[in-house]
Amino acid sequence: MHRGFLQFVARRAAAAALLVVLVSSAALILARLAPGDRLTGFDVDPAVAAAECERIRCQDPLWQQYATWLGRAARFDLGMSSRYGRPVGQLVEERAGNSVILGVCALVAATAVGIPAGILTGSRRSVVARVTRTASIILLSIPPLLASLTLLLIASRTGWFPVGGIAIDGATLLEQARHLALPVAALALPMAATLERLQSRAMAEALSERCIIAASARGVTSARLVWRHALKLSLKPVLAIYGIVIGALFSGSFAVEYIMAWPGLGALMYEALVARDAYLVAGCAAAGALALAVGILISDIALGAVDPRSTEPA
Amino acid sequence: MASLRSEPGNYIRYFEATGPAELLTLLTHTRLVRINRATDALEPALAESWTTGDGVTYTLKLRPDLKFSDGAPFTSADVVFSFKAVTEAPGSVLASSLRIAGKPPVVTAVDPLTVTIAFPQRFAPALRLLDNVPILPRHKLEAAFNAKTMHEAWTPARPLTEIAGLGPFVLAEHVAGQRLVFTRNPHYWRRDQNGVALPYLDRLTVAIIPDQNAEALRLDAGSIDLMANADIQPGDYARFKRLSDEGRLQMLDGGIGLDPNVLWFNLKPRAGHPKPWILRKEFRQALSYAADRQALADTVYLGAAVPIYGPVTPRNATWFSASAPAYPHDPAKARELLSSIGLRDANGDGILDDAAGRPVRFSILVQHGHAIRERAVSVLQQQFRAVGIGADVVNLEFGAIVQRWMKAEYDSVFHGFQGSATDPAMTLDFWLSSGSTHFWNPAQPVPATPWERRMDELMLKQATAASLEERQRLFAEVQRIFGEELPALYFVVPKVTIAASTRVQNLQPAAQIPQLLWAADSIAVSSSTPRPQ
Amino acid sequence: MTARSARAGAVLFGGIVLAAIAAPVLIANPPEQQFPGYVQAPPMRPHLRDDNGRWQRPFVYPLRLVDRLERRFVEDRSRRVTLRWFAGGRLLSADPAEGPWLPLGGDALGRDVYSRLLLGSRLSLGVALLATAGALALGALVGAIAGFAGGRLETLLMALADFVIVLPVIYVVVALRAAMPLVLSTGIIFWATAAILALAGWPFAARGVRAIVAVENKKEYAESARAVGATPWQILHRHLLPAARGFLVAQGILLVPAFVLAEATLSLVGLGFSEPDSSWGGMLREAGRGRAFAEAPWLLAPAAAIAVTLMALQMLGSGLGDDGSRRVPNLRQL
Repeated sequence: MHRGFLQFVARRAAAAALLVVLVSSAALILARLAPGDRLTGFDVDPAVAAAECERIRCQDPLWQQYATWLGRAARFDLGMSSRYGRPVGQLVEERAGNSVILGVCALVAATAVGIPAGILTGSRRSVVARVTRTASIILLSIPPLLASLTLLLIASRTGWFPVGGIAIDGATLLEQARHLALPVAALALPMAATLERLQSRAMAEALSERCIIAASARGVTSARLVWRHALKLSLKPVLAIYGIVIGALFSGSFAVEYIMAWPGLGALMYEALVARDAYLVAGCAAAGALALAVGILISDIALGAVDPRSTEPA
Repeated sequence: MASLRSEPGNYIRYFEATGPAELLTLLTHTRLVRINRATDALEPALAESWTTGDGVTYTLKLRPDLKFSDGAPFTSADVVFSFKAVTEAPGSVLASSLRIAGKPPVVTAVDPLTVTIAFPQRFAPALRLLDNVPILPRHKLEAAFNAKTMHEAWTPARPLTEIAGLGPFVLAEHVAGQRLVFTRNPHYWRRDQNGVALPYLDRLTVAIIPDQNAEALRLDAGSIDLMANADIQPGDYARFKRLSDEGRLQMLDGGIGLDPNVLWFNLKPRAGHPKPWILRKEFRQALSYAADRQALADTVYLGAAVPIYGPVTPRNATWFSASAPAYPHDPAKARELLSSIGLRDANGDGILDDAAGRPVRFSILVQHGHAIRERAVSVLQQQFRAVGIGADVVNLEFGAIVQRWMKAEYDSVFHGFQGSATDPAMTLDFWLSSGSTHFWNPAQPVPATPWERRMDELMLKQATAASLEERQRLFAEVQRIFGEELPALYFVVPKVTIAASTRVQNLQPAAQIPQLLWAADSIAVSSSTPRPQ
Repeated sequence: MTARSARAGAVLFGGIVLAAIAAPVLIANPPEQQFPGYVQAPPMRPHLRDDNGRWQRPFVYPLRLVDRLERRFVEDRSRRVTLRWFAGGRLLSADPAEGPWLPLGGDALGRDVYSRLLLGSRLSLGVALLATAGALALGALVGAIAGFAGGRLETLLMALADFVIVLPVIYVVVALRAAMPLVLSTGIIFWATAAILALAGWPFAARGVRAIVAVENKKEYAESARAVGATPWQILHRHLLPAARGFLVAQGILLVPAFVLAEATLSLVGLGFSEPDSSWGGMLREAGRGRAFAEAPWLLAPAAAIAVTLMALQMLGSGLGDDGSRRVPNLRQL
């Protein structure tokens, strides 16, 4: 790797860090702007509400609250969650860990299924290709909520998989895999469909590039054409989106996590919002931003490796 | 193996009023006396007997030789400490419910096994109030109380070994977002009639399953034995009935529920009110006539619901008054009432208009996420439309609804509450115009209307009346006034059906959540059926 | 093949749009009307021959409720409800006095799924198409500028895009909803939802377009165009953006169903179409509350509708790009 590339990586990493800070700040402020506070309820004693307000200093002007939080966050102290009674950092770490496991497995599964399927449908017009395309379309039409419930229904009727939930710590690998199977399926199938669609089009476009046609004229076999030459070209736009797909995993996983009782970051974010737990909201947003930033970074690096031209500053 | 929808944030019931906190308290702590939720009778718990001379001061004898789960002895000092903490600790959410005429009862220890509780005035439910106060160990919490940090003493951030209680179980593990694990408390005081120490269960695992549908599917699959919110949705009934016929589940009839959904209106007087007809009782009565309760029961609850017209349901047999006004479905009467206050359809668009020509529309706030409530409000919307009233349903998040309610910037709210006490003197916050949960116009310094003033008088009288018959008579009158003025509309109350696996025995279904786990100490598991996974 | 499938796609999509526009005529019942005995009723199939084998005008058998809790129905073969053409402004419907005709069955409140589906198409498709158009337009603009200009501007714009992607939309919407008036008309919800989705979706398009434009910009033909003195706008418009066309089409086709479903997610935080309006996302959310897949599959009709729309768009899109054919493409002008 040459120095230019390293510089590129460094620049992107710095941008990612800034992004994390900005997003969590925005989330914190938004959470404060949303009406209500933690003790929101119909039967709240005004004295108790006042005491809680004291504790989190909600009377201070917004910028002062933000400054306090920022100062603490710089020392990696993300505060205490009022909803769960635990330090935010601890909560986010645990849940993010679960989300990462789920996300990575789903990503691997989706890539393993989606990309080859896309190559297939993009390069030929057989019956198999048509069926695959239809399957993708159907998968993209079903909301994740419904897909999760349907999978759970299948699980409860057949007993092949546990009906949601995560394996207990210390469970065997097989047990963990069984608990993982359904959430991964719920997340990976629509993603595979998306990847398939993108890859399919990218492959089709790549196959009509002049250099490919020229190679075909030169007599290169179609198999090599597809798998060696066109693939590299087609990966470009797909990789550009890949990072976002990774990040979207975290925000889109809320429905799957909630239904399947998978204790992950998506569900936590929603809980935090409903409970108006501002520190937790900021913590979750930071984690999500971090994940996305890392995803984008990886995809940019991969893109840079495939096509060094895109790493040069203009 | 049981299931719960969310988890507690604070282990001390004094500081958190949520369902999970209540469940935790029922499992790990005990009270002086307890209200048997199946029979609604008062039973001795930590106090084995009590006497009173004048109905204002009670002397309770505590059971001897009781120990907390960490082995420390239980004495009256713990009782005194608990009451002091619940009324004085900063952040206590129970403090206001223990105030009678503004002052909490005074608890003193006579000797290590006797306490006296002196109420500020004669209070009819008397010791029933004590069902709210779990007794906490002084030796563990006194330091925190003195330092005013009791609300941070027992939280998920602290080690579990700090916690000690007198309840049937001990919290052994709390994995955030996943489950709570309870193990048997060897020092639990209660024994069954054969002298066997309770609880029968050695271990109770409570999984956290946020989604109601997923929870039902788990019960279906047999991977959980019962749910904390043990009642099933009407849509699941058919499936569970089939499973019950196959012997894989048991279904219990929980009777009629205690807590119906309610539609209340914003009756706070305002200068230049844009919709003055909301404040007229004829309007609300008309809505009650316009509602077809049977159709609502059939559509939303699939027939498993009973029409009601006020906040007290027939399940509350001691207090329900059948002579309160009923409102059968009568759209013609509704229209008549509406035109009597000047609402007519001036422009022929099907919606009534007021004297100034403005259409009669009002908004109903509904919490997002509740299938039954959202459907019910849709049905009501159509029924109101049939008599010319336009209802706009606004689906909002809970926090947003409460915010608007607190600022009185709404027309009406459709909501439901859980776990109210059966004795009306314990729910004075709702009935009194000065109460904080007097939803349609809370915390009034002075009653705004004559009928609220009358209700205040009657409620305060029945809270101190001597005989049960007198109290019932007074409360029946209150229900009659309520039914006349209709600040809030009640439509149907669901019939509760409880489902659990066939492994669990000795179930005592109650009306309030948690319907089965409130008596967790007597639940047993039949050893013949294998443990599910 | 490509041209044929593109034509077929155009026809199908055109049919869908036409159905949406003509919905008030095509429906069989008012969408908000709740039929008391028809909660989760199965679809009622029209017949042409009665039990004796005689030909009749199209009719249906009314449904009789056998068990309410189990939601079991049987056809009441003793009565026939004749369907009428062009009665009451509707293409095909039943006389309300005789009994409803629910072509796709009833939902959880006994409402006509078919009518709600048709009328919901106006809201859902309208929002989704509008939001997609907005997201693509904005994204293409930003991405093109970023890719072309490079340097600081590119970094800034892409950082903005990343920020919008990462910021959870629901937080913004909750705060926004609080600032809006309590009762929102269907029109306002429509435009607000479209706007929010477009603003949430543009970064995806922008990133892809930027990547493509940046790469194309460095190719020889772009250099030569610059040397010849073409303005940046000309270069973008005639040379670089067409390269991104395929990507934009693919992205758009993916965004439409995502937006239809996302509308239901927005309703989680208070910005959804309110009762009794129906939208496809909302109907699917309702369906998800029960055991639709096992017991009432007709409630999943909106998913089928989304799939059909997506298929139509796919076929249409293949005409705007290439689809694996080996013919020589339209060479870009030099």
